[in-house]
Amino acid sequence: MKKRWIRGAALGVVAAVTVALTGCSGGGDQTSTDGASLGEGGYSGPKVEITFWNGWTGGNAPKLVPQMVDKFNSEHDNITVKNVVQEWSDIASKLPLAIQSGNGPDVAVLHGDDLGTYAAQNLLTKADNLISTLGYSAKDFPPGVFDKGNYDGAQYAVPWSVTPLGLYINTDVAAKAGITDVPTDKQGYEAALEALKTSGVQGEWVDSFVFTGTFEFESLLWQFGGELYNEDVTKATFNSEAGVQALTWMADHISKGWSPADVSQDGDINALIAGNTAYNWNGVWQTTNTAFDGVQWKAAAVPQIGTQKAVWSSSTHWVFPANKGQNTDKTTAAATFVKWMNDNAAEWASTGELPAANTVRDDPSLVANYPNLKPFIGELDYAHYETVAPGINEANALITTALSNALTGKMSPKEALDDAAKQADQILEQNQAKYGG
Amino acid sequence: MTVRAYLFLAPFLAIFATFVIAPAVFGLGISVTNWSPFRARTAFVGLKNYIALFTPGSLQATQFWTAMRATGLFVVISVPLLLVIPLAVAALLNSRVRAATFFRTIFFAPYVLGVAVIGLVWGYILDTQQGILNHILRLFGLDRDIPWTVNTPWVWVSLVGVTVWWTMGLNTVIFLAGMKGISAELYEAAAIDGAGTWRSFRQVTVPGLRSVTLFVTTTTILASSNMFGQSYLLTQGGPGDETRTAIMYIADQGLSQNNMPGATAMSYVLFLILAIISVVNFRLQRDRGEESKS
Repeated sequence: MKKRWIRGAALGVVAAVTVALTGCSGGGDQTSTDGASLGEGGYSGPKVEITFWNGWTGGNAPKLVPQMVDKFNSEHDNITVKNVVQEWSDIASKLPLAIQSGNGPDVAVLHGDDLGTYAAQNLLTKADNLISTLGYSAKDFPPGVFDKGNYDGAQYAVPWSVTPLGLYINTDVAAKAGITDVPTDKQGYEAALEALKTSGVQGEWVDSFVFTGTFEFESLLWQFGGELYNEDVTKATFNSEAGVQALTWMADHISKGWSPADVSQDGDINALIAGNTAYNWNGVWQTTNTAFDGVQWKAAAVPQIGTQKAVWSSSTHWVFPANKGQNTDKTTAAATFVKWMNDNAAEWASTGELPAANTVRDDPSLVANYPNLKPFIGELDYAHYETVAPGINEANALITTALSNALTGKMSPKEALDDAAKQADQILEQNQAKYGG
Repeated sequence: MTVRAYLFLAPFLAIFATFVIAPAVFGLGISVTNWSPFRARTAFVGLKNYIALFTPGSLQATQFWTAMRATGLFVVISVPLLLVIPLAVAALLNSRVRAATFFRTIFFAPYVLGVAVIGLVWGYILDTQQGILNHILRLFGLDRDIPWTVNTPWVWVSLVGVTVWWTMGLNTVIFLAGMKGISAELYEAAAIDGAGTWRSFRQVTVPGLRSVTLFVTTTTILASSNMFGQSYLLTQGGPGDETRTAIMYIADQGLSQNNMPGATAMSYVLFLILAIISVVNFRLQRDRGEESKS
């Protein structure tokens, strides 16, 4: 029996040790050098093989990415890219240690909210020169995205894709309530929800999960003029007046009969597909959802409920890991690869994400091929992206807890947000110590 | 002889030492440092990570003990059910029912499924508005949707119910094997003394299963204390933090939030508590055993 407890307890620490063993070479001493500068027309040095890590395991990506990589390899005699696909969660657990031991990839794609964690710990190459040699600046991407790759005054990342929230409409259900116009403001949207209620339909189901209640809340918070955190991310501000207004508006859906109580995870989008509701705030990735086949639907920009236009979006970025003993030729070759991928990103729209590069996205053929993406592209002028700060995801998780507490009736919106903000402040303080030195 | 015995044990011992003892020691080591995958130098911090867990008002303590409460609640509700129901089912299967093997297979079948499958299947069944269960209950006249995976107290009903359905088969076959080991003569003697079914179950079957019961109780308490997948997949720890179990919180802290020292310290606190519970459980059941012998 005793052995069993030991085994039980040991399970939890096995992971710790595996990482301890592989990580014992210690990190932090590697200096984040800028990559060797890049000649016109890309990398021109000796033949190198570079490794590329990404978490694109679903949808069209597993088919598309190898094709793109093969094409790149065939066009570049001196660069061979090795495409390594694994689950995002595996990347999160392996990448820091791989970089520290010098076994990490030469180029990788990360989510915007992870950039701060990596950058703070010198795991990424400071790539200001490299990126400016590629010719990139903030104006090549939607407003606000490029700067998310900036941490502590240095540029670490090049945007790859953006994925804003939008308003999905079951047009059959809406038509039955006599609604043919797409609501764009508070008055119009609430009138539509009331009209739907009269026809016996709860028009927009609100859920209390990350997908997508939290994204809706954050969109509303920004619309009411709030921010998630203060400027230097030392204090949570999502419990501001704007936050309370945002969450109250969501909670009122239930009391006003626009949404059932206690919606399950994905219950909102499933209800839209099943024809049980008319509206759902969901990400651009749903445009590729095959469950929509046979449903009369369309997507639009999210309505403006607050005082200004705003919408949540996430982003993904190219980074150049600062492996222990990183070969600068390889980093330069990786930069060439990044530029090529961004220039040839048009097909990426087939995965339900918007290519970040303006040249690709603004090409009329993109919207012609993927008409559903049009409203999402239109939102990018006022989209807000995720906070960049080390360890921010742990604080962000509390926003979802607040939503859950408020929407299941455990607390008032203000209590729930205040409680979450208090804990988030402690996490931000801990993060200073955890990632600070 | 001894040498040969150790030689035969060597492969197991090597694996056991590498994957169980060494990690356990490493974990203990990490729990008294500020180790981080991101930190260049690791410093010894003494019992700081443990003290943080017992400092009222600190975030770590609040969250950890909230998670321990969830685990405790789950153990208290699920363990009795996971003992009584399998015992009853085993007793029924042990009496001469038709197609006992068939039923035994049916009861055991869910146990072979992975937790991911369980989470997915029951997710469809328990969905508040579009789940199969609420749909069926509406046919029977229930006029509202029960939030099985979203709100209290139903989240606990779901988690315990799903776990009982999923794992009762294991305890059932262990009880059944124990019952097969009880000599038929004892039942005959009991019958001759005039004992009915219930009496012989209480006086022959239950005492005859003492060592089996001890084993099943201990493993069930440990298994329920390690509950993670069900709440991770079905309730996402919600509503709020209500169903975020200790293991779920420890895994998140250690693997996602880069707080391995804190997570290992929590693991050892959990380990210590489980060790104490198991020892008490052993003592109680052994004492009872000795009493009935005297």
